[in-house]
Amino acid sequence: MSHYYLILEGFDKMDILISIPFLIFLPMLASFLIMSPLFTRNEIAIRRFSKGIFGFHLLYTILMLLLFDLSNPYTAKLSFWGIDWIQSLGVQFSFKIDGISMILVLLTSFIFFLSSIASKTHIRKNCKFYYSMLLLLMSAVLGIFTANDMFVFFMFWELELIPAYFLIGGDFSLDINPNAKKSAMKFVLFTFLGSMIMLLGILLLHYYNYITSQALTATFGDIFTERIPFGIQIAIAVCFIIGFGVKLPVIPLHTWLPDAHTDAPTPISMILAGIMLKTGAYGMFRFNYQIMNDVFRYIAPALAVLALINIIYTAFIAYSQTDIKRIVAYSSISNMGLILLGLCAFNQIGLSASVFHMLAHGLVTAGLFMICGIVYLRCKTRDINSLGGIASNMPRFFGLSTLIILASIGVPIFAPFISEILTIISAMFSDLGIVLKGTAILSLPLLIISSCYMLKFLHCGFMGDKQDAFAKINDITTHEFIVLTSIMVLLLIFGIFPQVVLGLIG
Amino acid sequence: MINDFFNIFLPQGCLAVFILIQLVLGMFLSPRFYKYSRFISLAGLSFSIILLSTVQIEPQYFGFKNSIMSDSYTLLFQFIIMLCGFFVVLLSKKIINTFRQNAYTYNALLLTAIFGGLNIVSANDFLTLFISIELMSFPTYFLISSAKGYHSKEAAFKYLITSAVSTSVFLLGVSYLYGITSSFNFTEIYEILSEGEPTLIYTMSGVLIILGLISKLSVFPFANWVIDVYKGTETSVLAFLSTIPKLAMFGIVCRLLVFPLSLSLELPFIITIISIITAIWANTYAIREKNVKVILACSASANASYVLLVASLVSVYNLSTVIFYLICYVIMNISVFSFLNITEYDNIGFFVSNFKGLFHKNHALTLAYAISVIGLAGFPITSGFVAKIYLFSAIVNSGLVFIPFLLALLILMVIALFYYLKLIIPLFDKAGKDTVVLKSLYSQKLVLFVTTAITLLIGIYPEKIIELCRFVAYNV
Repeated sequence: MSHYYLILEGFDKMDILISIPFLIFLPMLASFLIMSPLFTRNEIAIRRFSKGIFGFHLLYTILMLLLFDLSNPYTAKLSFWGIDWIQSLGVQFSFKIDGISMILVLLTSFIFFLSSIASKTHIRKNCKFYYSMLLLLMSAVLGIFTANDMFVFFMFWELELIPAYFLIGGDFSLDINPNAKKSAMKFVLFTFLGSMIMLLGILLLHYYNYITSQALTATFGDIFTERIPFGIQIAIAVCFIIGFGVKLPVIPLHTWLPDAHTDAPTPISMILAGIMLKTGAYGMFRFNYQIMNDVFRYIAPALAVLALINIIYTAFIAYSQTDIKRIVAYSSISNMGLILLGLCAFNQIGLSASVFHMLAHGLVTAGLFMICGIVYLRCKTRDINSLGGIASNMPRFFGLSTLIILASIGVPIFAPFISEILTIISAMFSDLGIVLKGTAILSLPLLIISSCYMLKFLHCGFMGDKQDAFAKINDITTHEFIVLTSIMVLLLIFGIFPQVVLGLIG
Repeated sequence: MINDFFNIFLPQGCLAVFILIQLVLGMFLSPRFYKYSRFISLAGLSFSIILLSTVQIEPQYFGFKNSIMSDSYTLLFQFIIMLCGFFVVLLSKKIINTFRQNAYTYNALLLTAIFGGLNIVSANDFLTLFISIELMSFPTYFLISSAKGYHSKEAAFKYLITSAVSTSVFLLGVSYLYGITSSFNFTEIYEILSEGEPTLIYTMSGVLIILGLISKLSVFPFANWVIDVYKGTETSVLAFLSTIPKLAMFGIVCRLLVFPLSLSLELPFIITIISIITAIWANTYAIREKNVKVILACSASANASYVLLVASLVSVYNLSTVIFYLICYVIMNISVFSFLNITEYDNIGFFVSNFKGLFHKNHALTLAYAISVIGLAGFPITSGFVAKIYLFSAIVNSGLVFIPFLLALLILMVIALFYYLKLIIPLFDKAGKDTVVLKSLYSQKLVLFVTTAITLLIGIYPEKIIELCRFVAYNV
């Protein structure tokens, strides 16, 4: 990649333009710009402007990815940025990008770009407020994925809630959803409860790290847990598991998810399932897997059992649903269980599989929610019993949907196949005892159940006799075609060349 | 005596002169010159703030036969009190328009209350403290009752009765302490008591004194007044009531806990339990409430309880967090009340549903208000976030025993988020036909935007203020 460095040498003075703060705060700046009273109120102009920002951000992230090479001193410098923020707590406002962060940042940028394209048909009102909140949410999520300090991580974790509330509960579509506000409040309260308990963990870890190693710091790399009493370590780890378990979600804490995902507008559902759930998994990886790794060894089997319950139980629930959006919502809980299982395996394959599944599932679930949104927009119903017979009216849509649904089941040559198989293999080869092996075997039926509910979705939703009510619906527009095709193409690429991603993680 | 006056009493003296000027002018000037009363108040406060630089603080200065003291701690509190007073006077234009002939009296009362607050913070003597508390409380009754209508009179009467009861409790505690030590002076009491073991009567007197003082903070045994009083009070007076008495009381309570009442081991636990009860009561009360003022009353009570919890676990670190939290809280509170002051005179009403859709017609005003409320809930980019983390880290630092209390507070924060969100969500709803463009005065806008800007600034770069608070706490 040497020719990239040649281009870069001329840009030595422009460090600020090729740096992490620019990556994170560009959407936030755009958000404030759109929110300001001086900015235009023309809805089309706002939409195009923010789409431009999202597109530019995607290109920028791809540039960062191409430059991402930790062995080169110049580009290694680009992967870290920090200044002192609150010295009395030892908080450094610092960001760091490693391979996993890079993958998730790329996913974030991509899904937000897709959801801004999808917003054209789904968001018809209050564009100014909607796009500024969307951009703010993007900044918050990027901050979570790149933060290098516990308190900065927590700050972005909380910052995400306010835009997320308004995006889920706001009135942006033409049809009014009476439950949306309630679901949004449920989402915010659940996540806030989790984040408060996480804050307890962070404070305890910060304090005990200070008294055992005499270093007033909250940076991820400088926290050492060896000398902290074991009981305290367990308490801290449990705090983190509850905090991230709400977002992930782990089974008893999942009740907010189906409501929030169902009642949110389609582009927001794509973001919620595609990225926001991954923040929970990422947090679990950073805090439990990396920092508290002594305790994680002991907790992992218990967590793996929870993950197994996640995988199987929610898959059955998904099968019994009649609302197509709820099917997809429950299927994403099931898949998040798989990600958790990969982490619990506590080995390199498991980690790779877990991160790869975050990427694959992020793409798949965004595509599935997009499909639900397209169906709902045309048929005005999401009930699986009254749908059906639209395949002949929408051949292009049917073809793309079939491919994405097949990908979500785990059919070979698509990315989820590789991550699912890798996860189960990693749990099989885990050295954490018989529990992990048992969960690996018991989670195999997922592949069958998931194909049951997804094929039910495909069968009842698309095929069957033609219905008079849906006789006049049109095939997908160019916008929707672009979204679905790009997702499908990426799934294929990652499915055929998984090494592109796995190389970054290792 | 003269020396003492020039060394530490100039700011208060200046304020006293301006109080007299207001009273004299009120007697002789025709009511049509009512407008100038505000400017005289502002001038008085500005001069006093400038004169704060003449106060001797190195290391600690005791004046008037040890009854008044000054150090950097009192100076900081006095500065914040006068800053809040400045904002309150700016906000009081609308209420003064309703009773023009009494404008000078109103301002004189306001300045007197601020004067009392300044003296409370610098008191070094229970007698001075008692007189200063009364000096602050008496004008407050009249300020509360100054709005039109029945409710304000009811509120004033309730405040009067609670204040009277709590003051008598306070005096009872002081009399016990006087019985043990035969002195009113903080320093002397501390010296006499630190020679022997603390007795039960000492703990009792400490509890009574603290209970008497914290009634102004709307903490548990005397908490119920806060709802009715907030309901009936005009918003610019509320901006006063929710900041200045609170600052003054916390100023003296923290000093008492550091100094003469620090010998009792039971006292911190009693205060901790009181504050937890208050937090639970206030947060759960606000869940079903729909009146903005009542929600803010509960929020005031809850925030006071968090601060009190940390203040009772005395250490330098905790004291600095208390001061920092108070600064942030007071600024956000004034910001919220300045927005309510704008809406009050547009006859919008105080129910949450009345704010429906205001955002679509008044972008800047509602955004500033929303930022302040979000700050109260403790969300990032505002000072509330830093204050919250700082406060909770102080509890963690105080020992493992207090972790259950912290857990309780953290769960209560979730409930708090629910009612804070209730305050701002209707703003962003669909605008109805009767949604108005708010008419605001320059002074109201100035206060709202300046306080919001301070909130954001502290949230983004808190280090300088934290350093200041640590320095001040270290010197107590």
